[in-house]
Amino acid sequence: MTCEEARKNLPLFLYGELSFDEEELVESHMDGCAGCRTALAREKALFAALDQAETLPPPRQLERSRAELHRRLAAARMRSEVPAMAGRAPESNWWHKFREGFTIHFHFAPGLAQVAGAAAMLALGFATARMTPNSLFGNFHSAGMVDPGTSRVRYVEPLAPGRVQIVVDETHQRVLSGSLDDQAIQRLLLTAAKDPTDPGLRVESVDLLKNDSQSAEVRKALEYSLEHDPNAGVRLKALDGLKQFAEEPDTRQVLTQVLLKDDNPGVRTQVIDLLVQRHTDAMVGVLQQLMEKEDNNYIRMRCEKLLQDMNASVETY
Amino acid sequence: MVQAAVRMDEAELIRAAQQGDQRAFEELVRLYDQSVLRLATNLLRSHEEANDIYQEAFLRVYKNLHTFRFDCSFHTWLYRIVSNLCLDALRKRKVRREESSVVETSEGPLDRMDAVPERRADGDPERSLESKELKERIREVLNGLTPRERAVFEMRHYQGMRLRTIGEVMGTSEEAAKNCLFRATQKMRAALGDFV
Repeated sequence: MTCEEARKNLPLFLYGELSFDEEELVESHMDGCAGCRTALAREKALFAALDQAETLPPPRQLERSRAELHRRLAAARMRSEVPAMAGRAPESNWWHKFREGFTIHFHFAPGLAQVAGAAAMLALGFATARMTPNSLFGNFHSAGMVDPGTSRVRYVEPLAPGRVQIVVDETHQRVLSGSLDDQAIQRLLLTAAKDPTDPGLRVESVDLLKNDSQSAEVRKALEYSLEHDPNAGVRLKALDGLKQFAEEPDTRQVLTQVLLKDDNPGVRTQVIDLLVQRHTDAMVGVLQQLMEKEDNNYIRMRCEKLLQDMNASVETY
Repeated sequence: MVQAAVRMDEAELIRAAQQGDQRAFEELVRLYDQSVLRLATNLLRSHEEANDIYQEAFLRVYKNLHTFRFDCSFHTWLYRIVSNLCLDALRKRKVRREESSVVETSEGPLDRMDAVPERRADGDPERSLESKELKERIREVLNGLTPRERAVFEMRHYQGMRLRTIGEVMGTSEEAAKNCLFRATQKMRAALGDFV
């Protein structure tokens, strides 16, 4: 391989996108060519500079985007843009009918059917008011129709001229207390641990759940949070609960993925400390892979030290 | 083993969402939306446009999920939608702002990025290391790449996707994606060589 060919291949070499044979040729050329080793060092510096130039979304953008998507999906459903999934038309879906019951349709020029519908709704309203506790519906204001404490207008959608459709979210609160061992309580905590809207709730739920990580379901939930939760605080709590299982193959596999993918250096630092408690051949590959892309100096130093301790090469190329 | 379990969870989520389970759909979104937003933000360098891509991509997924037949991974299917939207946005932007680096010359089309000098004779090495200047330069270089080169580079460099997957996402071969990446990195090396 000539110097020109070797240098041409440097980016693909660094990305690990050369074939085994091509990589061998580049490596053997590098061994005997100081000029190309310098070129490789420059290419690495270029890659590091490009890493620094990444434009990341602002901190709360993901939450805002999710909230907007939620609203737009609700609007799409209201416009009956629900696809006919698995041969089931939305109009024939019981859920659609059920949800329709909670959708307020205003018809400013009602026909006979609408009058009949309105009368039925009125009757339903009286019946509901008699059958449900006052605390739920007793404070409705006749003008607004919506109790601001427990309800929220989620979306307002103009329809044909003179008509509007409104989606109202209603929250009915109940207070539950019980032992952490109680399965019903645990199920609620597992649900809360995945609540996308409230990172604080997720932190507290995961914190409580981690005390019962002997349960397979809880451990699976902790692994899921560690791998997928967008909030680093939640991930750290989940990691805390998984520490005692660092030797288990399943957990170890998750920890490895997190080490290679998590964007938070704090999480990666704790994971690396956990994983290297046991030196295995598999760890060598993982650490070498990490070295290829890790930009945190502390973690790089830790990696290098560990690889040296294991008598392994610091680089894979 | 865990990977298999995760994939199974994803397949279950897709099937549930195809049956109309809204919660499953939103959970499916959350598996990937962070990386989708990150890709769109980095590719378009505009938070507003990135959010537009995010919304449009997941609305399209929602409307077309019933057509997903597991012929490819959901990740590939989703990224195909996202990358098409991003490419369209970049192409429109190119036309709108006349940003194209390709100019017509008497000898045929010439990419101005190819003519970027390897070295700047008047460059001050100390100052050239300042990250602000470097970032600005990188932004210029990225703007000079074709939308396709830019998308391939972003997916490989910042998203860590393999060229084979990028090829599937872009509807082309691994080899074509490799050539595209090669051109992109060559242009960047030529333009940024004296900064690093």
